Amino acid sequence: MAELHVRIGLSFLAIAGSLPMFSQESIDSLVLSDVTVTARRPTTKITSGTPVQMLYTDNLAAIGVNDLADAVRRFAGVNVKDYGGMGGLKTVSVRNMGAAHTGVAYDGVPVSNCQGGQIDIGRFSLDNVEMLSLAVGQDSDPLQPARMYSSAAVLNITTARPSFTRGRNFGGRVEVKGGSFGYVNTSARWWQRFSDRWTGAVDGSFSRADGNYPYRLVNGSAVSTERRNNSDITSWQGEANLFYTPSDRTELKIKAYYYSSLRGLPGALTLYNPVSTERLWDRNAFIQSVFTTRLSPKWRLRATAKYNYGFNRDREKGNQFEGGIYKSVHLQQEVMLSASAQYRPTGNLSVSAAQDGYYNTLSSTMGECPYPRRLTSLTALSARWTPGPLDLTATLVNTFITESVRAGERPGDIERLLPSVSVAYRPVSSEEFYVRAMYKDSFRAPSFNDLYYERLGNVNLRPERAKEYDFGLTYTRSLGSWLDYVTVTADAYYNTVRDKIVAFPSTYAWHMANYGRVTISGFDVTLAASVRLPRSINLSVTGSFTHQKALDKTSETTKNYGQQLPYTPRNSGNAGLTVATPWLTVGYSLVGVGQKYYMSQNIPANLIKRYIEQNLTLSRELNFGKTTVTLRGELINFADAHYEVIKYYPMPGRSWRLTASVKF
Amino acid sequence: MNLANFKYSFVALAAVAGVFTSCSDSDDNDFDDNGSKVVLGNNRVFILNEGTMGMNNANITYYNPDKSGDIIADIFKLQNGVQLGDNGNDLIEYNDDMYVAVYGSNYLARLNSAGVEMVRKEFASDADFRGGIRSIDADNGFIYASFYGGVVAKFDARTLEVKAKLTTTGSNLEDIVVEDGKIYVANSYAIIDGVYTYLDELIVVDARTFTQLPSIKVTSNPNRVLEADDKIFVISNDYSQESYVLQMVEPRNDNKVTVIGYATDMAEDDDVLYLVDSRTDYTTTPFTTTNTFYSYDIKRGSLSNTSFLRNAPAELASASVYSMAVDDETGDIYINTTYYTYSNGDVYRFRRNGTFVEKFDCGGQNPRAMVFMDR
Repeated sequence: MAELHVRIGLSFLAIAGSLPMFSQESIDSLVLSDVTVTARRPTTKITSGTPVQMLYTDNLAAIGVNDLADAVRRFAGVNVKDYGGMGGLKTVSVRNMGAAHTGVAYDGVPVSNCQGGQIDIGRFSLDNVEMLSLAVGQDSDPLQPARMYSSAAVLNITTARPSFTRGRNFGGRVEVKGGSFGYVNTSARWWQRFSDRWTGAVDGSFSRADGNYPYRLVNGSAVSTERRNNSDITSWQGEANLFYTPSDRTELKIKAYYYSSLRGLPGALTLYNPVSTERLWDRNAFIQSVFTTRLSPKWRLRATAKYNYGFNRDREKGNQFEGGIYKSVHLQQEVMLSASAQYRPTGNLSVSAAQDGYYNTLSSTMGECPYPRRLTSLTALSARWTPGPLDLTATLVNTFITESVRAGERPGDIERLLPSVSVAYRPVSSEEFYVRAMYKDSFRAPSFNDLYYERLGNVNLRPERAKEYDFGLTYTRSLGSWLDYVTVTADAYYNTVRDKIVAFPSTYAWHMANYGRVTISGFDVTLAASVRLPRSINLSVTGSFTHQKALDKTSETTKNYGQQLPYTPRNSGNAGLTVATPWLTVGYSLVGVGQKYYMSQNIPANLIKRYIEQNLTLSRELNFGKTTVTLRGELINFADAHYEVIKYYPMPGRSWRLTASVKF
Repeated sequence: MNLANFKYSFVALAAVAGVFTSCSDSDDNDFDDNGSKVVLGNNRVFILNEGTMGMNNANITYYNPDKSGDIIADIFKLQNGVQLGDNGNDLIEYNDDMYVAVYGSNYLARLNSAGVEMVRKEFASDADFRGGIRSIDADNGFIYASFYGGVVAKFDARTLEVKAKLTTTGSNLEDIVVEDGKIYVANSYAIIDGVYTYLDELIVVDARTFTQLPSIKVTSNPNRVLEADDKIFVISNDYSQESYVLQMVEPRNDNKVTVIGYATDMAEDDDVLYLVDSRTDYTTTPFTTTNTFYSYDIKRGSLSNTSFLRNAPAELASASVYSMAVDDETGDIYINTTYYTYSNGDVYRFRRNGTFVEKFDCGGQNPRAMVFMDR
């Protein structure tokens, strides 16, 4: 991923047309006039056998997308569970395999949550993010850590790399945002080039919101307007990056990150009872470093190391707790080491190997915490061969997990060998038209909660197993001088999840069990196009549509057999339209979600209605020499749709947001 | 004295007494169906479905035992236009009215015999009651309720005005019964520093003075309590034992506690305790549950190890039993099973002699309590 970032400029130059390259040996110097290279950034990895979609945050900002969850739900095939408000939990499930099957990486290094097994993307800010990519199966970076091969899908968050305008060794950006429900956000960034070899970047942001938005409550035939309470959030975030590039063959990146927040947890709204007192303190810090070097034209190496610390404290008031207060504290730590190597014996063959080691621990004040220590070893072997119009990739991932506990029974070791293959075929060499197919085996290990939660946990759990089959088409082209590009993708897929970890219904006491079986079939269609109109007006359109059947196939005798899983709409889609003129940029976006059921049984009592959410954004960029000022106003959900993503977690109606940003 | 004369005068006396009793019975049997949107049968079964916590899907289903297929799911919403709320915990019948305790939404309501709401008392804004209402019992014109947070309260059965309130030494209270002027409440567990700690006593409160009396020590984690034949029966969910423990407490015998056996649920009629012991084997995939049905004759003090069910459908031997109830008018036995959040539960109906009558969908999740009303 980092590789792509550095190389991106060069590959676009290649696409746009050839430019004279002058070597250092020439004695005559030629002064070239400034050349403007206009090239588009790809929205999909065109040649990849596995479906990969990409979104860029500045494009997203133009259509009013400001946070990670809002951005991610615009990927096709993605189901974001949003519990509402700025501080609500948000998890992402790709093709409805479950949030724990989606891996998340931040600048190429995996993020994990062994406690709950799923990542809360709500707490990542987009302030310093440049690009998001979603790969079903895995991404194609040959040096990525082994863990990135082991999930059913991977969400990659890539932050902005320092870039400097000519003649400057520094750069910065200050941004202030304000909006409805007491929303205030300020962020600042400073980029500094210390020398040819050393560059540094510092980012910091502060965010708060009251979150007491009004919502419409429908209770039978009674309709009323209520207000969310205990829905506030205050958060701080800071990141420092150091880049050391002694040559164009070697790079060392070090990142330190800190996040701290306090939020109210309003919980599901309970009819006739508005009391909500639960508060959550969250602290997360990590330090990660990535060292990449090209040893020779055929050999490249990477080493990655990370230490992660996660702390949360939950507090609730009520006389059902002794002393009137409930408190619980969780502490997670992780150490990760990874080494990978890529060998290219010929121009169209690449072989890579990656070895990861993870050490995870959990301490908690909750009853009978066994203080687990988990050691995970992941080994990935991957080969990519591109003979002519074919692009073939085969991967083998071996996972070994062993766990020790301070008290109580310990789970058995887990060892799995999982293959995946993908192929992309370009039938006509003059056309950028690809036919793709992919097969992947993956699994997700039981989380600490699944294994050890008081009374509910079960140390005998096996991992969930997933199989994915995908068949897709990609086509992209430009036309004349007016159609910059149009890219269309279509994917049909079939996935199964077995040994799904669920809380098993039994009389004596609830227990986690490997019990569920799910089959998912569907298709995704995406479209992206950019059109150049006269008078320097540019029109760009994006859209995606997903149709999916995610059915419970656990036990034929149950009433919900063959029925759609909770929170999985059959149909969903989104669209974005941006009109960029020299004076103003107008963005419009739409997200539509079809009806779905909020519990397993598909009966009318369990229905959540379909909804459409639309945003309108106006932005203007002013240039003063090397300084750019951007002003943006957004009207979010301007049609004031009253909807919920998760039942009884109402979403805000119409709201507004203003942003002022100075970049220098 | 001529015995025949005595007999006749006795019969005459009984007949006169019978007239008076049947007069007050007919007052009791005057259903109040005011405001009902539907015509209901003369014999009614109402099922309280607890729902799933946080989903606001508690509801009450109506079933006509005399007319096959006459079932109305969510009759509360039909009659009142609004939902029952979150986590329906207890439903009782008293003087041809129904009383429902909704724990999550934290309120108590009186419904008439057709399920139309007459009066409600919401507790969310009351600091003492904020823990949430759990269980109710009726006696002598009052409704008695237990709350999480250790509170016991007494309400006027008609107006639901609070007549007395006591914060006991208990923590999270469960089932409540009133017997012979005393209130017995299960003191189940406490949450201390975020950790669940199981308790082991019945809290006792004088129903008139509303002062706490000495507690009675029982097996750890008492939950279900019922009263029959002047005795109190308790089921404790003691996780350290092989199954839940059924005990008998005798207030008239110096509060003597006797362990009867293992049972996970109970129902009572005519001084017979109908019991089920559900055990789950966690070593199989998926887990397997085995239900043993048996009964206890309270008057004789004897356990019968044969099932009181004769030709139960095969799936009942391993289903998740959520509650049991007996129709005090006909003796019909109802076994209610649950699939938790996965789907609506089922009701299995048997005659008193154990013959299977029918099975039907209970119209909601987690069928928790049943009420029988007869005109």
